[in-house]
Amino acid sequence: MDFICNFPFFSILISLFSGTICSVLPAKAAKAVNRLVIAAVGLMSAVLLLYLLSTGESFIYWMGHFPAPWGNEIRAGVLEAGMALFFCVIMYLSMAGGAHKLPDEVVESKHSLYYILVNLLLSSLLALVYTNDMFTAYVFVEINTISACGLIMIRQVGRTIEAAVRYMIMSLLGSGLLLFGLCIMYDLTGHLLMSNIKESVALIMANGEYQIPLIVAVALMCIGLCIKSALFPFHAWLPDAYGYSTVSSAAILSSLVSKGYIFLLIKIIYRVIGFDIFNSTRIIDVLFVFGLMGMIFGSLSAIKENDIRRMIAFSSVAQIGYIYMGFGMGTQAGMVASIFHILSHAATKSLLFIAAIGLTDVSGGSRKFIDLTGAAYRNKWAGVAFTAGSLSMVGIPLFSGFISKLLFAQAAVQVEGKMLASLIVLGISTVLNAVYFMKTVIRIYTSEQDAPYKSITFRDRKAYTVVLVCSILLNVILGVSSQPVVDMIGQGLAMFA
Amino acid sequence: MYLILSSIFFPILAGLFLLIRYRTPLSGEKRAIDRKALTTLTGIFLLITAALVIAALLHAEEGFTLFYLTKTLPIYFRIDSVGRLFSMLAVIVLPCAGFFSFEYMKHEERESRYYGFYLLAFGVLNALCSAGNLITFYLFFELLTMTSMPLVLHSCSREAVMAGLKYLFYSLCGAYAALFGIYFLYQNCDSLAFTADGALRASSIVEHGGFLLVTAFVMLLGFGVKAGMFPMHAWLPTAHPVAPAPASAVLSAVIVKAGVLAIIRVLGMFGRDFLRGTWVQSVWISLTLVTVFMGSLLAYREPVLKKRLAYSTVSQLSYILFGLAVMQETAFTGALCHVLAHGFIKASLFLCAGAIIYKTGKTRVGELRGIGKEMPLTMWCFTIASLGLIGIPPTGGFVSKWYLALGSLKSGLPVFDVLGPVILLVSALLTAGYLLPPVIHGFFPGADYDYGSLQNKEPCRLMTVPIFILTTASVFIGLFPDSVSGIIAAAFTGR
Amino acid sequence: MIVSVILIPFITGILVPVIPFQKRWQKEVFLETAVVLNSILVWYLLLHHSDSTFLLAHFTGNLNISFRVDGMSMVFAGLVSALWPFATLYAFEYMTKEEHENVFFLFYTLTYGVTLGIALAANLLTMYFFYELLTLVTVPLVMHTLTREAVLASRKYLYYSLGGAAFAFLGLIMVIVYGSTTDFILGGVLDPAKTAGKNNVLLLIYVMAFLGFGVKAAVCPFNSWLPQAGVAPTPVTALLHAVAVVKSGAFAIIRLTYYSFGTDFLQGTWAQDVVMTIVMFTIIYGCSRAVKETHLKRRLAYSTISNLSYILFGAVIMTPLGLVGALTHLVFHAVMKITSFFCAGAVMHQTDRHYVHELNGLGYKMPRVFGIFTISALALMGVPGLAGFISKWNLAGAAVESGNPLAWGGIACLLVSALLTAVYMLTIVVRAFFPGKDFDYSTVSDIRDPNWKMLLPLFVFTVCIVLFGVYSQPIVDFFMSVAEGAV
Repeated sequence: MDFICNFPFFSILISLFSGTICSVLPAKAAKAVNRLVIAAVGLMSAVLLLYLLSTGESFIYWMGHFPAPWGNEIRAGVLEAGMALFFCVIMYLSMAGGAHKLPDEVVESKHSLYYILVNLLLSSLLALVYTNDMFTAYVFVEINTISACGLIMIRQVGRTIEAAVRYMIMSLLGSGLLLFGLCIMYDLTGHLLMSNIKESVALIMANGEYQIPLIVAVALMCIGLCIKSALFPFHAWLPDAYGYSTVSSAAILSSLVSKGYIFLLIKIIYRVIGFDIFNSTRIIDVLFVFGLMGMIFGSLSAIKENDIRRMIAFSSVAQIGYIYMGFGMGTQAGMVASIFHILSHAATKSLLFIAAIGLTDVSGGSRKFIDLTGAAYRNKWAGVAFTAGSLSMVGIPLFSGFISKLLFAQAAVQVEGKMLASLIVLGISTVLNAVYFMKTVIRIYTSEQDAPYKSITFRDRKAYTVVLVCSILLNVILGVSSQPVVDMIGQGLAMFA
Repeated sequence: MYLILSSIFFPILAGLFLLIRYRTPLSGEKRAIDRKALTTLTGIFLLITAALVIAALLHAEEGFTLFYLTKTLPIYFRIDSVGRLFSMLAVIVLPCAGFFSFEYMKHEERESRYYGFYLLAFGVLNALCSAGNLITFYLFFELLTMTSMPLVLHSCSREAVMAGLKYLFYSLCGAYAALFGIYFLYQNCDSLAFTADGALRASSIVEHGGFLLVTAFVMLLGFGVKAGMFPMHAWLPTAHPVAPAPASAVLSAVIVKAGVLAIIRVLGMFGRDFLRGTWVQSVWISLTLVTVFMGSLLAYREPVLKKRLAYSTVSQLSYILFGLAVMQETAFTGALCHVLAHGFIKASLFLCAGAIIYKTGKTRVGELRGIGKEMPLTMWCFTIASLGLIGIPPTGGFVSKWYLALGSLKSGLPVFDVLGPVILLVSALLTAGYLLPPVIHGFFPGADYDYGSLQNKEPCRLMTVPIFILTTASVFIGLFPDSVSGIIAAAFTGR
Repeated sequence: MIVSVILIPFITGILVPVIPFQKRWQKEVFLETAVVLNSILVWYLLLHHSDSTFLLAHFTGNLNISFRVDGMSMVFAGLVSALWPFATLYAFEYMTKEEHENVFFLFYTLTYGVTLGIALAANLLTMYFFYELLTLVTVPLVMHTLTREAVLASRKYLYYSLGGAAFAFLGLIMVIVYGSTTDFILGGVLDPAKTAGKNNVLLLIYVMAFLGFGVKAAVCPFNSWLPQAGVAPTPVTALLHAVAVVKSGAFAIIRLTYYSFGTDFLQGTWAQDVVMTIVMFTIIYGCSRAVKETHLKRRLAYSTISNLSYILFGAVIMTPLGLVGALTHLVFHAVMKITSFFCAGAVMHQTDRHYVHELNGLGYKMPRVFGIFTISALALMGVPGLAGFISKWNLAGAAVESGNPLAWGGIACLLVSALLTAVYMLTIVVRAFFPGKDFDYSTVSDIRDPNWKMLLPLFVFTVCIVLFGVYSQPIVDFFMSVAEGAV
């Protein structure tokens, strides 16, 4: 076993411990440590990814060299490594892009706490990505919830506390359901390691016994994770949580946290239940329908919204709907499309959140559309970035959003019964996306000659602008040369089986 | 070839020359235009054109293709007997009315525009008469509308402009309906060149016979608009009264006949045999008879002289159309005779009305008491022309109506063979009813009339001579119908 | 080579705001030279085209961005590149009265490149890509004045266009999945083996994609953006909203119908009936609205709506002759409508009058402009001897020949529309030349024809209208060979 195989373990560990270290460091140092950790983890994930691509096989890493069922396992395949790398990149961009706002948003004394939470969040995300053990997954789900709550709450404004409480309740409900499902599963199979459960599940299905409890367990786990990832109609917590937290938090929450849960669900589908068995249940139909509804209703809510941050938040609901629609198709192609959309949405959403803050900054801090009039002239790069993000969301070629739309549509055509519904909803949803994103874009490019706000140029905010440009580039790269990414996803899914 | 072309393009170029040379000055205020030079020039142009037309008529030529609009659409000219007949009408009426207008238009503004478009319309009419296929015909048919519209709205008053637009839109409506048919004819004929005995392919008749009948009907209705056929006659009584009198004369005598010419062409294209006895014929005859009767009735009730004449035109044109609709040789002869007779008569009547308006400013029939004493020559011409229109021998109207009635009776059509002549007779009575009162009041104003106030208001020669020529022509047709019978017989067979 | 004609406008456009021009004429010369050179290059390319496909980049899977010159691209690219230099010349004069000139010319020139991209695209994906791009680069042009009206118009334009593209996208997917390739091949690329049993779904998606691309071609009920977009400066409305943008929609539909789905697959199906009915309705609807409209440019915009559907009517007849009719009208209408728009623009530029009832008596003051306007009006009505007649003749001839009774009804629609065209165009002419007896000429005393930069394009286009009207043989023959796939 190569040294590189230790990397997943290392990265979880580093981020976990750096969190602890941050608590004793001053804010500036904590920030440095945080960045360093994210970068290091990203680097390790990249190396791991290259390694996996060269070997072409996934590996299982025994923590402390105890074999199952006593030991704890970590599994790394192309998909996991890629996802970890991507999460790090997005996280880095989000942190860097929101850094200049932190002093305004969070009181000085809480800064180190903020970085602790971010590091914890990263470690939990990595654990969710890498784990091969259901119970470990559950533990890190909880850690994730807590750190996310902290990130929302840390701004300590009335609305954020309310939002955090709401998020807490919904999330705990979700994890509770997940735990129920897990218990039943453990009851049925007697295992906690994913690979072991899968074998038992296959046996159960073959014998035809205990099928209903099994499906109940699967359903419970699914619903739990759906709540946590804000699938319509469980999205009530989302707009406030994303809309009022700090910029970086919002970007991270919307692009990573919910995606972490979704990735866990994918893992459960492939590694725990088995893709074919999962597809034979009616659960996918339910996911499909809710996905479609999310696409429509999320966008409709976004259209009604008069607050740019909340609008972007509602747009997330719609995008999550896309992802679940992909699951609901029950085909490999649908799954590939969903995973690609996880990437593309994460890249776009963080970009939008960061760009939005640039726009509100030059509009007296107001997020109301009326005040944003002409904001793009006052902060040129933020305007460009927001436009790019919007175009990607609408699905204009050259941007990542187009590729996910393309993949979804291609996947949809191959599913006999669901083809028309998904295609039409896809079309309608694009129209709705266009309505609210383009409304905003035009608003920010409508000049108002005597706006009382100051402009921000490149020289004022170099780091911020660089982050914007990087995010746009990331988006465009995903949009232009998507083939390697898609291939990688396919390879990763193959490794899952 | 060059004679025909020059008879078409000379007046068009001359008209354009007048329009550009004497265009309204840019500054807007009136510029003193050398009126004498303008009228002399126009007169010369008119005479040259007339000479060219006559020369072209005399030198019967082979048809020739000017150029190809698309690969299968030649612009083709050929003068056949029908065209010759209509040309004859135009070449007499247009110069007469033109000379009349030199006096009449004295006090109008923008005379040059009027003369310019007048010449343009003359050229287009010549082209229409010598067109050799349906596309060429259609081309000039549209142009005729465009060039004659400025004549109608010349006075630029609000009613005139509205009337001009009404004329334009009605005509276009008709032209487009006809174009609808042309599209289908094009597909179902080997060529669009005119013929008198049907150009439809036999296979097409078998396959799409029913639809082709619809097409024929649409085309008849469409071209019928120009000929004032019910239900699309409403433009005529609006347009005529507002136009200057010589323009109304030309409009009523010649331009509306373009519709008749068109219908003759359409009949030829579809072939009488194809249409005879079908629902198209029945409906068409009914429409013409309705128009004949209704036109006369409306004219009878109309107090304004020019409007009354306009309604009369509506009615008389449908005499012609009735003759065509019967699809029988004698009736056809009657119809073509009536084209000439009505052309001369109506031009003369309108010019008389114009002379009255010019001299006295009276427009309503009721005001015309004693006018015969003031303008004897004009009123005598008016009387003779009126008698002609009523159909009293030996005028042109009698001959044509005789043939019409005879043809109708010979045709053997159910119901219409008798109903037609009856309605023609009733209408003739009504014609007498609306044309004779002005004559009677004009010459016999009654015992209580104040003869002392009478003045000699006879207009100058420029006005009386054209009226006289036209009246004479109408009588000539009646006295010597044989002079045109040969050409009409040739027209029936399509030579 | 083929990419360079798309890139040159891009580079030129970007250079306009970058280069610090000292004088206005320097900028004009720079722009005009670039545009003319590019047009020459395009024509050279079209005349010396090879059959090979130029592959620019792999996109994803077997999808790639590639370019090729075929018959259809020759028609559209030739048209666009012929009109653009004149429109640019006209724009120089027109824009003297407007602000933000640099931004305007930046996007105006970009649009040239994007439109050529649409024309030269070798497959559906490439075309879709440039199609979306076209929306984006033209929005700033609509928004140009930044008034509330302009913002609303551009918003609507964006919603409609992007929304339409979303449904056109479904068509793209169908071709990707069920076609043997996405390249444009006359006769369609659908693979019968794959489509078996899925006909109705495919037809439904075709109708959706038709309407999707139809948004740009202003098919009813998705037409309301076009009249509103008339707030843009006239060179934009004239060139983009009468030619480049809207014709891209029509072009895309032709590509979709003839080169992707294939007429064999579509002909005689319910989908054909549906789209034909829609198109026929639009023909009438556009005209009727034009008659009611009193704003000059908006009236012309409604007229465009109706005329675009003429093109689509030809396209949905789905026979080679229908394609010929569509192409004829595509080209001829471009020339006619750009002429009338430029006349309207000249009037607005010289007099600042925007409504039809304000045009009384202007014919005497601007005889050249209104003379040309009259010719374009007659041509649009379809008076023989002018370009409009030929295209209508071809359209109607194709409809008759197709033997489809619905198409026969379409001929009636064409003619009703021609009548309405006469109503809304000739009332303007009559107003201008026959202002009425009591008209006060002092109200128009200081108005005159515009200068040569505006008049030159007008004269050239008028000559074209007449020329096409009397001698259209070579060009129609060329369209025929395009429709038969011989080019």
